[in-house]
Amino acid sequence: MPLTEHIVMREYDVPNIGLFEVYLEHGGYAALRTAFTEKTPADVVQMVKDAGLRGRGGAGFPTGVKWGFLPKGLYPRYLLCNCDESEPGTFNNHQIIDHNPHQLIEGVAISAFAIEANTAYIYMRGEFAKSALILEQAIARAYAAGFLGKNIFGTGYDLDIFVHRGAGAYICGEETALMESLEGKIGQPRNKPPFPAVAGLYGKPTIINNVETLANVPPIIAKGVEWYRSFGTAKSPGTKCFSLSGHVNRPGNYELPFGTSLRELIESPHYGSGMKGGRPVKIIIPGGASAPWLTAEHLDLPLDYESIAAAGSMLGSGAVIILNDTVSAPHLAYKMDEFFKHESCGKCTPCREGTHWLVKTLHRMNAGHAEADDIPTLHGIYKQMAGNCFCLLGESAVMPIKSALRLFPEEFEALVQTNGNGAKHAIPLMMAKH
Amino acid sequence: MPDVTLTVDGVTVTVPAGTNVVDAARLATIAVPVFCYHPRMEPVGMCRMCLVQIGTPQIDRETRQPVFDADGKPVIAMMPKLVTGCTTPVSAGMVVKTTTEEVQFAQKGVLEFLLTSHPLDCPVCDKGGECPLQNLTMQWGPGKSRFDYNDKVHFAKPVPLGDLIYLDRERCILCARCVRFEDELADDPVLGFDNRGRNWMIISKSDPPFDSKFSGNTTDICPVGALTTSDFRFKARVWELESKPAVCTLCSVGCNVSLDMRHDKLMRVMPRENAAVNDIWICDKGRFGHRFIEHGTRLETPLVRSGDRLVEASWGEALQLISEKLSAIHAAHGGAAIGGLASPRLSNEDLYAFQKFFREVLESHNLDHRLGAPGEAGLDTAGAMLGVGVGTDLMQLGKGATVLVIGADPEEEAPLYMLRLRGIAQRGGNLITANLRPTKLERSATTRLRYTAGSEQRFTRALLRAVYEIVGVERAQKLRHSGMDELRSTLNKERLADLAAAAGVSEEALKATAQAFLDAEHGIIVYGAEAQSAGEAVTQDLAALVVLAGKAGRANSGLIALLPGGNSRGALDLGLRPDAAPGYTMLKQPGLSAHAMWTSKLRAFYIAGLDPAAELEVARAALEAAEFVVVQDLFLTATAQLADVVLPVVSVAEHEGTYTNAERRVQRSRQARPPLAQARADWQVVQQVAQLVAERSAVRAAGNGRVGAAAVADAPGWGYITPSDIAAEIAERVPGYAGITYAALTATGKPGAWGRQVNEAVYYDGTNYENTEGVGLQYPSLAERARGTIDLAPRAAPTPTGERSTLLLAQPLAYDGGALLRGSKLEAHIPSAYVALSTTDAEKLNIHPGDRVRLVSDRGEVILPARVVIDLPAGVVLVPANVPGTGLANLQTGPQTRVNVVKIVTE
Repeated sequence: MPLTEHIVMREYDVPNIGLFEVYLEHGGYAALRTAFTEKTPADVVQMVKDAGLRGRGGAGFPTGVKWGFLPKGLYPRYLLCNCDESEPGTFNNHQIIDHNPHQLIEGVAISAFAIEANTAYIYMRGEFAKSALILEQAIARAYAAGFLGKNIFGTGYDLDIFVHRGAGAYICGEETALMESLEGKIGQPRNKPPFPAVAGLYGKPTIINNVETLANVPPIIAKGVEWYRSFGTAKSPGTKCFSLSGHVNRPGNYELPFGTSLRELIESPHYGSGMKGGRPVKIIIPGGASAPWLTAEHLDLPLDYESIAAAGSMLGSGAVIILNDTVSAPHLAYKMDEFFKHESCGKCTPCREGTHWLVKTLHRMNAGHAEADDIPTLHGIYKQMAGNCFCLLGESAVMPIKSALRLFPEEFEALVQTNGNGAKHAIPLMMAKH
Repeated sequence: MPDVTLTVDGVTVTVPAGTNVVDAARLATIAVPVFCYHPRMEPVGMCRMCLVQIGTPQIDRETRQPVFDADGKPVIAMMPKLVTGCTTPVSAGMVVKTTTEEVQFAQKGVLEFLLTSHPLDCPVCDKGGECPLQNLTMQWGPGKSRFDYNDKVHFAKPVPLGDLIYLDRERCILCARCVRFEDELADDPVLGFDNRGRNWMIISKSDPPFDSKFSGNTTDICPVGALTTSDFRFKARVWELESKPAVCTLCSVGCNVSLDMRHDKLMRVMPRENAAVNDIWICDKGRFGHRFIEHGTRLETPLVRSGDRLVEASWGEALQLISEKLSAIHAAHGGAAIGGLASPRLSNEDLYAFQKFFREVLESHNLDHRLGAPGEAGLDTAGAMLGVGVGTDLMQLGKGATVLVIGADPEEEAPLYMLRLRGIAQRGGNLITANLRPTKLERSATTRLRYTAGSEQRFTRALLRAVYEIVGVERAQKLRHSGMDELRSTLNKERLADLAAAAGVSEEALKATAQAFLDAEHGIIVYGAEAQSAGEAVTQDLAALVVLAGKAGRANSGLIALLPGGNSRGALDLGLRPDAAPGYTMLKQPGLSAHAMWTSKLRAFYIAGLDPAAELEVARAALEAAEFVVVQDLFLTATAQLADVVLPVVSVAEHEGTYTNAERRVQRSRQARPPLAQARADWQVVQQVAQLVAERSAVRAAGNGRVGAAAVADAPGWGYITPSDIAAEIAERVPGYAGITYAALTATGKPGAWGRQVNEAVYYDGTNYENTEGVGLQYPSLAERARGTIDLAPRAAPTPTGERSTLLLAQPLAYDGGALLRGSKLEAHIPSAYVALSTTDAEKLNIHPGDRVRLVSDRGEVILPARVVIDLPAGVVLVPANVPGTGLANLQTGPQTRVNVVKIVTE
């Protein structure tokens, strides 16, 4: 059953909820006032901890616990809102902003208050020009209303929120690369430790949360922990905005409580409304391009962090990609690794060279020039990458090819057998356009 | 920090806390291969070559105590993934495994990955033979690649990063060592990256491109053949080269270098490791500026004047002529009619022989190692006597050290000091700079002081007064140096507030600086050209300050003067000065300084390696007027063209000798090739002339019945066969140089003589920095020897003369216009003459870059094109001190010349 009450897409049905006045009328910024005037930062942290809010960016780490990692007494601190949203298949963040920027602003403000930061940055994917504009206008409105700026509500608490647009790099969604980019440097990940909570932006303690995570905060403060926990499962409370794409009849963003089954998401007339043309499900990628693939046998899995992990994949950012039997696994692996190759920052050897080699080989195989030793080579390449890369981008690039080889080995063997002339040729690869 | 004990492949090793796993393994004699990690830079963990397995003792969650197994051994919890050793600090009880199957698989994998993008063009690559990628592939790599050769990426190459360094993008493994070297060590953030992924590439971000005086070092630390120098590119295979140890004489740092020779030809200059001098770095001047050695215009035979021309002559003819003329002038007019100048780039042996010839044979103290230009540095007697203590090692200084850098621009004057001083600040030391204008070193300073233009002397006096106020009169009275009474009475007369106001520096800042210097365990004052050219009052005050602060005669404390010549210190020590014999034996009746010689109507000049006539009108006139002029040099300089006899001498590559650097470290340089044509060593020439002159004098004396004829046969004291004979005599006769013989110098290089000498292909990759020739010996300063007393009496500050408003600052540039950069790639970097003005002055006078500007002093005037420099203070103009065509020498009136600046309006 569809939700009657939304959390992330709060007051979903109210027309023009994204307008400042409308949002205010429907209880908007009440949580902000409550937090600033009636609660201490520690109270807010505790509420978020108790609510069991987990990071929606991919890792699902408890948000309140993350906030608790900040070293005591070290200031200034920064709050970064990660709206780089570039994982293939993920498209909910900008819709959250387009739909209602004020809920995010309120969430950012309350969270900044909770971690005692006076400056917050919203790092937006470069392509989100329209959303950035919407957000900036909304922030200006919030400043004008006295919800941001100096001495908010006379509490003595100051907060500035800045919107920063990236220049188009997937890697800048990685938290340390995001900070490098925000500092004006080339977007590449940093060594960890030190972790951002200890030494992040400009070397100061920094918390980085996803848009959807922060959008959850105002409703938690407004309606309380118990109400929040009435959604979802015990370990994954609340709702998740799933981005459903692929061969379904109605792709789109759907806010569902955690624990809803994959089958319901795909087949319910409220959500995916079934497969296009009634064709069977072949591949399910439950958490964006970085997630290991699942198959039709997993259709009854509940969508929560633990269940998906138990099935050998991950919920990630909640980008559910459903593909039917017309899709070739070697070709899909090629297309996905082409993405990772294109987005590899180049900093570490296994990712830079590994993705490059994978794509070269997969491209040649798909073009009809597969060789018998290509299959062991592919296994070799991803094994040499797995666990040895600098950040998760390289590890993510392993997933498509590893999944394809594990789940559909016969398709690769078929490519080898149908090799036209048996010659091993390099096929000109369409060059990356940048 | 406490030490940490861990186990690497079963070997137990104890290392300082904070050491990373790669370094710890190395101390356990286990090699972990690396590409991006370099021991002199922050680890980045990019190349993934140093992946190892680590485990730490398991800690019980409840009791927080280590868990032990049945045998009582701690249970080790291994990390699930491999980690990069370079970014992982050691911890107590850590277990590191570098040879397990997983590690080997990862190492092979990384190398196979790296080689997929590599062009495998070793046969034509300059790095071949000293290439870490080759070496590591042989030891850790897979036997063959599964990569399809046709899939290789190709790039346009080579790409010039600047005119000195070329980038081969196909060979580059993107380790960022070059970028990080320029950022972290050189403070020249001129390199960066563009694009990403496989298209990630190194670019130069500066204009002019790769604008760094240390750029050549990036080719040494490049672990592949991606970066090559335009100087050495495709010149030779490295295994054909023989490394000959030498000392760079192009500035006062005294960097240890190797002259890499193929047969008798110099192919390249490389750094030779000496932790106490240049570590493993050299500047581009040292690396690329030695092409003069084989320049086609070098003098090959003696030349003798015949009318207007200089014609080739035999050595015999030339030497006979010299001895005849010099002894005639000596006999007729005495030694006082003869002047001698010897270059501060000559070796100690050359210089000693030269002054000995003058003092003992010609009986003249008219000696100098300077040109005699009005604006040049004084003799810096007190500073020279003090110096820094034996055992000084700037590389070891950090916390607890306060280094004051006054009136110096190290990057231009002695480039390696830039790296060394910056390093002290990076290691937590207190680096205080005081200048009238911003310098590059200032960016690394912990405190920056800015005194007003022309107030150097007020500033140093203020600092001295601030120290005096803190240490008190009592301590000052205990000091047993001469001139203390004058010092005290001068200091008692001056108030800190007045001095501070005159210098334009706040009293608080002066007091804080004085306190920091006094409190420091190690206190060093470094002073450069701008401080020295302000007159001896400045250096005298600095010497008094060091003594008063109790920093004299101690290791890692004292004074360092950035002197203008490569062996200026040796020249000062060994008596190439009119006022003191070797070892600062002050003369009752000093001779003439260079400056005085030009106006004293001397009858003869003997000049070794200096070119005063090039810039100095007064010198040219004096040389033209003299009866007889001898010049021995590498080139037919302007001065040589005026000479009656010109003698060809050898360059540093053909010469064996010792040099004394700014920190009183005597270092030995070896002969790398036979002399060019008929060239002889300076000391040999001087000895031959001395023998002949002595012979004639003896004959004449015998004629007078004073000496028996037997004395003619062997002139006493002139029987040197090798330079080591002279060195032995210096060691015997010159206080301080005692014990510094060639044997002693070479002994310092034996393995184990010092801790950090390394030559491990894996650790420092293929580049050979090996130093087998000794690291030199520091000799004790007068302050460290019991009987030494130093004259600390303050000198009067020069008073500005005339009505002229603007201070003329002569700035020595690293890339100078002297003969020594001849034939090098650096010639393109030598600026033509210019005058730099502040933006304020330029606006006031409506001067735009490129406009012609007239500078008028009390002595003369010059016209120069203008540059406008944003960070120069108003009221100062900057003219390069050592590029041709500035006319500076004829403009300067003495220390702190003042000029009027006039824009020339052309119709």
